[in-house]
Amino acid sequence: MRPVDLTRRTLLTGLGAAALVPVAGLARSVASAPGGSGSRASFDPIPAAPPGPGVFDPTTPDWDDHDPAPFDPFTGNLHGVDSSTITIDLPQLRYEGNWNPRPGAMRVLARELRLRTRLEPALEPGEVAADADALFSTPFLYVAGEGELPPLPPGGEEALRRFIDLGGLILFDAADGGTDPGFVRDVKALLQRIAPASEVAPVGRDHVLYRSFYLVDAPMGRTRTHDHVLGVQDEGRLRALVMRNDLGGALAETNDGLPAYPCTPGGNVQREWAVRFGVNVLLYATCTDYKADRAHVETLLRSRRWR
Amino acid sequence: MSERISLAAGYVPDPLLVSVLACALILAVGEGLTAFRRRRPGVPRRIAAGLLALRLLALASLLAVAFELTLRIEQVTASGRRLVVLVDRSASMALPDAPDEDTAPTTRHARAITAWQDGADARVGWRDDGLVVDVRGFHLHSQPFTGALADTLEGQSDGAGSDLARALSELTQPEPDRAPLAGVVVISDGLVAADAATEGRLDTVAASLGVPITTLFVGAPFIRDASVAEVRAGEFAFVENVTEFEATIVAHGLAGAATEVQLRRNGEVVATERLRLPADGLPAVVRFEVAPDRVGQFVYEIAVPPQPGEATSANNTRAFVVKVLRDKVRVLHVAGRPDWDVRALRTLLRRDPNVELLSYYILRGLDDITREDDTAPLSLIPFPTDELFEEELGSFDLVILHNFDAVPHQVEQYLDNIARYVEEGGALVLIGGDLAFTDLGYGLPELAGLLPVDTRRRSPLEHGAVRPILTEAGRRHPITAWLSAAHEGWSQLPPLDDHNPLPLNPRGDRIGATSLLVHPDGADEEGRERPILAVAEPGRGRIMVLATGSTWRLGFAPDLPLIDGARPYDLLWLGAVRWLLRDDTSGRLTLETDRPRYLVGETVELLATTWSASYAPEPGIAVDWALRPLATMNPSQAPAPDGAAPKPLLEGQWTTDGLGRARHTLEALEVGAYVAWARRELAAGDGTGLAEPNLDPDVDAMGQHEVRRVFIVEPPGRELSRVDADPGLARLARLAEATGGEALVAIEGDTLPRRIALREPEDGRNGLRVDARRDVPLWNGWMALLLLLASFGGEWLLRRRQGEV
Repeated sequence: MRPVDLTRRTLLTGLGAAALVPVAGLARSVASAPGGSGSRASFDPIPAAPPGPGVFDPTTPDWDDHDPAPFDPFTGNLHGVDSSTITIDLPQLRYEGNWNPRPGAMRVLARELRLRTRLEPALEPGEVAADADALFSTPFLYVAGEGELPPLPPGGEEALRRFIDLGGLILFDAADGGTDPGFVRDVKALLQRIAPASEVAPVGRDHVLYRSFYLVDAPMGRTRTHDHVLGVQDEGRLRALVMRNDLGGALAETNDGLPAYPCTPGGNVQREWAVRFGVNVLLYATCTDYKADRAHVETLLRSRRWR
Repeated sequence: MSERISLAAGYVPDPLLVSVLACALILAVGEGLTAFRRRRPGVPRRIAAGLLALRLLALASLLAVAFELTLRIEQVTASGRRLVVLVDRSASMALPDAPDEDTAPTTRHARAITAWQDGADARVGWRDDGLVVDVRGFHLHSQPFTGALADTLEGQSDGAGSDLARALSELTQPEPDRAPLAGVVVISDGLVAADAATEGRLDTVAASLGVPITTLFVGAPFIRDASVAEVRAGEFAFVENVTEFEATIVAHGLAGAATEVQLRRNGEVVATERLRLPADGLPAVVRFEVAPDRVGQFVYEIAVPPQPGEATSANNTRAFVVKVLRDKVRVLHVAGRPDWDVRALRTLLRRDPNVELLSYYILRGLDDITREDDTAPLSLIPFPTDELFEEELGSFDLVILHNFDAVPHQVEQYLDNIARYVEEGGALVLIGGDLAFTDLGYGLPELAGLLPVDTRRRSPLEHGAVRPILTEAGRRHPITAWLSAAHEGWSQLPPLDDHNPLPLNPRGDRIGATSLLVHPDGADEEGRERPILAVAEPGRGRIMVLATGSTWRLGFAPDLPLIDGARPYDLLWLGAVRWLLRDDTSGRLTLETDRPRYLVGETVELLATTWSASYAPEPGIAVDWALRPLATMNPSQAPAPDGAAPKPLLEGQWTTDGLGRARHTLEALEVGAYVAWARRELAAGDGTGLAEPNLDPDVDAMGQHEVRRVFIVEPPGRELSRVDADPGLARLARLAEATGGEALVAIEGDTLPRRIALREPEDGRNGLRVDARRDVPLWNGWMALLLLLASFGGEWLLRRRQGEV
């Protein structure tokens, strides 16, 4: 692709090379108001068929008689339209044992995703058993635990194997934060059984997971014991992630909205980085390696050089 | 007939052993002679002579055994020598040329006939000398002339080559029953070696023949001709990419004449280049740069229009087959929001190595930005609308707007661009969702008129499980035909989560708007069909609208059925992409030839394969087929005067076997370009039946179930690519000089000589023909052993009786 002059877009967005923003729509919506000159006339109009009975003529008044677009320039959304948003669930696996050591963690992540991105997670993430058909209601699964991961019910491992084979992504989160290897050990054993052809290995720092939305240096959670996340990859696709720094612990909140657990050693700054990593995981889950596309890499490199 | 007797050795020992044997023999003979001359007193002379005779007999017997001597008795008769006359019958001999520009041209063949008739007296003299005159014609191979043909040299000179080296090498084969070769006469224009390798081979073969070669050159220096001597072109090209074809034009007698060299594709002129024809024999290179605008297999030709007074127009055209391939398919995938549907489609497209995917997903809205920490390091980039939808739009083969709200992202103003892109051959997919059809971004007349659905009113997403119904058109359409193969239709597939209730475009007839999948609840309150999947073909482009953002369900379900081993999601989208890109492999029928070029006389193999809706081999399918010349290379294949295409040369119907294949072998095709066409039976009940075969080689004119392949049958070698006889004069003179023959030139008045150069007789065997042979072994019978024992034993006994031992 040829280099692009960003000047015009920069002016339109007013925010520099920061984001894919709908502010441009503001400029357009003003310019293309009735009687305005926003419509570009530099292109030849598409030839219309001669009017006549039964002949389609897109320029006839009745064809132009469409609803006006009630666009809100301040939010980028439409007024008065029930858009019946497509929401995505962030379900958590329910199993015999301590399956939910950080209650509400996914609810907080869902909220942060809504606030920070265009993703629309469900307000209340679901819970799902490994042997239920509901496991396949969404190709993302959050599995938390502490101390150990007990055996799944009959058919559970087979269902998880099919889940990742069909393209699902499982995020395992060890609530011990690196102090007890039991859960991670059991998770590795489970992954070897359901994905025997792949190994659990560190996800390299150059992986798109670290830049799918935020530029993140390390997968922080309630702790920062480990500076990398483990993963199972197949044909370049992450099928499972093993987070050992207690991501859920950094996300979880008390009923009054305060952090449920202190983040050590970085405090709230570390908590923010944990949230950002969680956002990245979900953006990777929905966009895969989108940020590894050449256009993005080149633009990012250009912006870094400029800085 | 007489008898000739000779000894032949069956075994010859090593030289060392032979030396030892010779020494022993000399000693034995010497000792015997000495004993004979200095015999003791009292020994009678006859006894001494007997001893010497026995010694010699013993040695002879020993030699016969040691060398396995055989007595050879042959019956031989005297025979004359042979003179072979090789007459060039290649097509270049039919070219008219002349000693100068002012003299009327004569064909070289006519000159050869004249010279042959003028040499009639000489030929009688050759026979009087006992020569056997063997007249043979040669082009790609040689064959004897008999009867009147040998006397007159009449007949056609139309051979596709001039392989004099091969004709001479055939004379080196041993022919015991024939008179020995004594000389060769070559009557030719000398254009018998196309390159240095052939020239070298000719010299080698001539030298190995070992006889004088007399040459009679029948060409002339002035000829008027223009030819496409050479073409350089690849077998493949990529659509929309510039590829270069290069031709070397050689002319004689036309220096300075202006002409236009043409590049034709399937008979249609696609480019011309002005050319002033160069001086005699000088090459002029003409280059064509073309960017094929569609994929397929095409016959290209580079042609020089016939010139006034030209010796032949058969060499004015060179044809070649080029397969135009799609380069990496460039796909632009724009999504208004990341979700599982975006993930699924991106994963599928990324998996295909032939897809160059450019994605732009809107990852956050303005409200997200206002809340964001300004210092947060983000990986986001601007949405380059100008670049994508104005500058680069034409470079994409497929544009996918995936649940994309055009208005807030300023894309609305580019919709006329997108509409034009489609009309000019682009492919567009609109995928529904909660953003796509809610802001009326696609309701502007410029684009809405091209869509198969009515987008003039908002269509908010409706949640609720939907199992679409396959329409009759959907059963046949390559995007959804796999669903009709899955006998239970959608009932066995996961339901979709939601849909946008878009009605069919009420004026979609002119763009071929067709519903392939519709909502199971039937028409809306206004009685309009509610398509879930609809397609249209406005202008030269194709559009697909999918009024749901949940097809990812077809690839992710607990009990997902696989159809022919593939996920329904893959079948749906791969079929869609193939159809949108007009991929000829998306057809339910393929037709292949084993090669794109054949030499005349070679068989052509056609292989048709039928595929099921899910692209598995489909047996037992009737396939209509036809073969038609492209009417470009061969004048005899020209279209009818009224412009109608000639009737097919061959046609018929195949039925595919258990593997979905049908083969056919074509034989005895003339030189020319051909198009093979095939069409599988249409689905029953479509009401159309089989139409007349459409042999238009334009691939875009083919229907989904029709395919075509072009191929060329060409002459072996390029006989008429070289017409100037001057090199032939030098070549024949050199050949004669190298072999001890005489170089004659017809236009200088030379005639066949009475005394032709011949090889001198070598030995007594020269001129003898062996009619019978009998070998009598002297060494391996009981007689040889008895003789050996008797001679050695007799000498020993006789010497003992004389008191010498």
